[in-house]
Amino acid sequence: MSTLVADRIVKTFTVNRGGATRELRAVNDVSLTVAPGEIVGLVGESGCGKTTLSRIMIGIETATAGEVSYDGRPVKSRSDWRALRRSVQYVFQDPFTALCPTMRIGDALAEPLAIHRICPPAERKARVARMLEMVGLHPDVARRLPNQLSGGQRQRVNLARALMLEPKVLICDEIVSGLDVSVQAQVLGLLLELQERLGLSLVFISHDLRVVRYLCSRVLVMYMGEVVEQGAVEAVFDNPQHAYTRALLAAIPDHSRLTAGAAN
Amino acid sequence: MSVAAAETTVATRPGLVARLRLGPALIAGIMLLALIILSAVLAPVLAPAGPAVVDLGSVRLPPSADHWAGTDAIGRDLLARMLYGGQVSLLVAGAGMIGSLAFGTLMGMLGAFGSYWVRAVVDRAIDIQLAFPYVLLAIAITSAVKPSTGVLILLMVLAAWAGAARVVRSIALQERGKDYVKAATVIGASPFRIALFHVFPSVLPSLLVLAAMQMAAMIVFEATLSFLGMGVQPPTPSWGGIMLDGKNYITSSWWLTTLPGLAIVLTSLSLVLIGDGLQARTDASRSREGDE
Amino acid sequence: MAPVLSVENVSVRFPGARGDITVVDDVSFTLEAGQSLVIAGESGSGKSMICQTLLGIAPGAASVTGTRIDWKGRDLLRLRDHEWQAIRGAEIAMIFQDPTAALNPLITVENQIVDAIRAHRNVSRAEARARAIEVLGLAGFPEPEHRMRSYPSELSGGLRQRVAIALALSCSPSLIIADEATTNLDVSIQAQIVKLLRELKDRLGLALIFVTHDLGLASDIGGDLLVMYAGCAVERGPVNDVLTDPTHPYTRGLLRSAPTLKSSRANPLRPIPGQMPKPGSVGAGSPFGSRCPVVVDGVCEVQRAGWTSAGPRHDVACHRFALEGREGVR
Repeated sequence: MSTLVADRIVKTFTVNRGGATRELRAVNDVSLTVAPGEIVGLVGESGCGKTTLSRIMIGIETATAGEVSYDGRPVKSRSDWRALRRSVQYVFQDPFTALCPTMRIGDALAEPLAIHRICPPAERKARVARMLEMVGLHPDVARRLPNQLSGGQRQRVNLARALMLEPKVLICDEIVSGLDVSVQAQVLGLLLELQERLGLSLVFISHDLRVVRYLCSRVLVMYMGEVVEQGAVEAVFDNPQHAYTRALLAAIPDHSRLTAGAAN
Repeated sequence: MSVAAAETTVATRPGLVARLRLGPALIAGIMLLALIILSAVLAPVLAPAGPAVVDLGSVRLPPSADHWAGTDAIGRDLLARMLYGGQVSLLVAGAGMIGSLAFGTLMGMLGAFGSYWVRAVVDRAIDIQLAFPYVLLAIAITSAVKPSTGVLILLMVLAAWAGAARVVRSIALQERGKDYVKAATVIGASPFRIALFHVFPSVLPSLLVLAAMQMAAMIVFEATLSFLGMGVQPPTPSWGGIMLDGKNYITSSWWLTTLPGLAIVLTSLSLVLIGDGLQARTDASRSREGDE
Repeated sequence: MAPVLSVENVSVRFPGARGDITVVDDVSFTLEAGQSLVIAGESGSGKSMICQTLLGIAPGAASVTGTRIDWKGRDLLRLRDHEWQAIRGAEIAMIFQDPTAALNPLITVENQIVDAIRAHRNVSRAEARARAIEVLGLAGFPEPEHRMRSYPSELSGGLRQRVAIALALSCSPSLIIADEATTNLDVSIQAQIVKLLRELKDRLGLALIFVTHDLGLASDIGGDLLVMYAGCAVERGPVNDVLTDPTHPYTRGLLRSAPTLKSSRANPLRPIPGQMPKPGSVGAGSPFGSRCPVVVDGVCEVQRAGWTSAGPRHDVACHRFALEGREGVR
């Protein structure tokens, strides 16, 4: 069973302000289990620790305390993390900085295959082309450089690159927040389609509760490093228990509250 | 792509010069440098005589129709010596530049991607090198070992690698913090792979600028050391060496020092122009990236 | 009531290698004192360029043409540079997306506002300072007397945006333009700023232009809505009417693409197929024609639609709607 578990994660940063050192708890005792095939939403405002937590789960940040495990085995050593990244992948928030500016798209997509010696070099091109088509891009895109693509196209490329290793779990950090509404809808549709087709589990990090409501089956609400509420999306959104969740929901701009014919 | 389509793209494209985005400084620099290199390479064809042909009957003649740049104290044609000297000066400076950039790049990358201890060692090495007056270093070394062209090139590398290392390290450190490097880590790329395939291409434009600037410095450095008698050894001509030969006659025979000096100035000038032009191009493409 | 601002047939073009690139195409709207107008559209719709035109800060290469931009009886299209100085900041003020970029990091909040006031008004420092405290209070900046000595870097993003709003209010303008002013803020801060802007509009009788890509936010601001696509205005009317009864195929597509708090996978979002046309590639036809599900063959390709009434003060620029009404665009 391919379950990704973050168990009682703590992350503290030491900040030095005016000579006095202070400990800042970015993530405080947070646990998160990602079951096979599920889409978990992680919501909260900037500085709530959601990105830090997600980066700990892929090992690009280290936890101060707590443990990440996959398939029941704890991930500790450097080689454990390397092995984990064969099955768990990460898509970064900013489509403009997450791609190497000097590398052609095709090379960037083929790179994971080359690193892990997944298929003979002759086959790589065909695999790249197939993946580009899967995320809705023309195979010719392989010849381009990142700055020749739009934000939506780049985010598709990022997604394709993370999928090259055929991961079981995909962690997506705010991947649609920088996109226009119509492009965002295209990427969300793509995510759902890929999730269904490949049996992926998704951790979807966002500050936009509307997107989370649409995409996720389960949601964790984070506030100042802690999970203040979690549960099935319908339960949390329709009947929020924590005051912060209620405030967050009330702050979401939402045109579905409008009713036809009502005065402004 | 069909033939017709290819033709239309070509037709609507701006001309080659416009596409390369060469500024006037860059064009002037490249043309001047090309002229200098060409005349050095073609020395055997262009030179009126061999660089070592002594003619004691015509000593220290001023520039004339027979000897365009005059002759030196033992009657050798100065133009010939300067053309052949250009070969030596350019080759030695080029070798010094390439060596210092290669070593500096390696150290700079180690300083950004090495383990904690490697980074610490590189940092200290750069600090020590930058604090060391390298002309003194050169004098110290050449007084200990017999001066030769090989030693001269080694000296150049020792004198200049740290500048390159610092530039490379600072760019590499900047890039290392970016998401695309983290993304490469996540797909399993090793630090070596990240340094070579992801970060090095971003360092390259700055390295090109540095190459031009470093080359200019090397031309002057070679001339300095040769003038001090610690560089290229006679009878092999180099611009600095020719100036050394002429320095005793500086009041009576101006051409013996002025003309090789002019060659040095023009060569460094062309290189500085190229360096500035390349820098402007790098800056422009950076700001375009920022606009998106 | 006569409108304070009336924009008539304004276009903005940039010179391109193959002819001019039109980024704002024949846009008109009016705005009354104490009212708000939301300009909504995706990137490339030209919404920000309109704002810059209204402040005379469009990039130098842009050529702005049109019948007239009437501002309290003056034509903004025909102002000289020094005449703009008297209007910019004093009569029309702007709040930008990034408050950090709009504030000078080396000058305290107090001095920035005092300087702005004294640039436009002949008042003493003490008077300007009193006014600074007043506008910071209006902008909901806590303890202005003490905290206005801070530098921008010492403030949170939300507070910086409040300072930017105070700066905009400092010379009592009649119109405030907020260009994606809440986009970079956290949702709870965004909600506070939106509420503040609505209150200020009502209390001070300001006209407000609020530019956003978020239709949900448009509904929170209220007032009128102008939907833009590829430089063209495609639908206009009261926010509530346009969002509950959208008539232009683009507005409808946008609403079907945007998730709400009531969305669920049972009712999938329906993205608009294709991509926004590149600037300058829209010809004489309908800008949305290439992606439109109800395109009128032989008409939409060649001719831009004029305004058709879809309700009281609610207009749409769509050939299909003009021909068949609501049934046609469904």
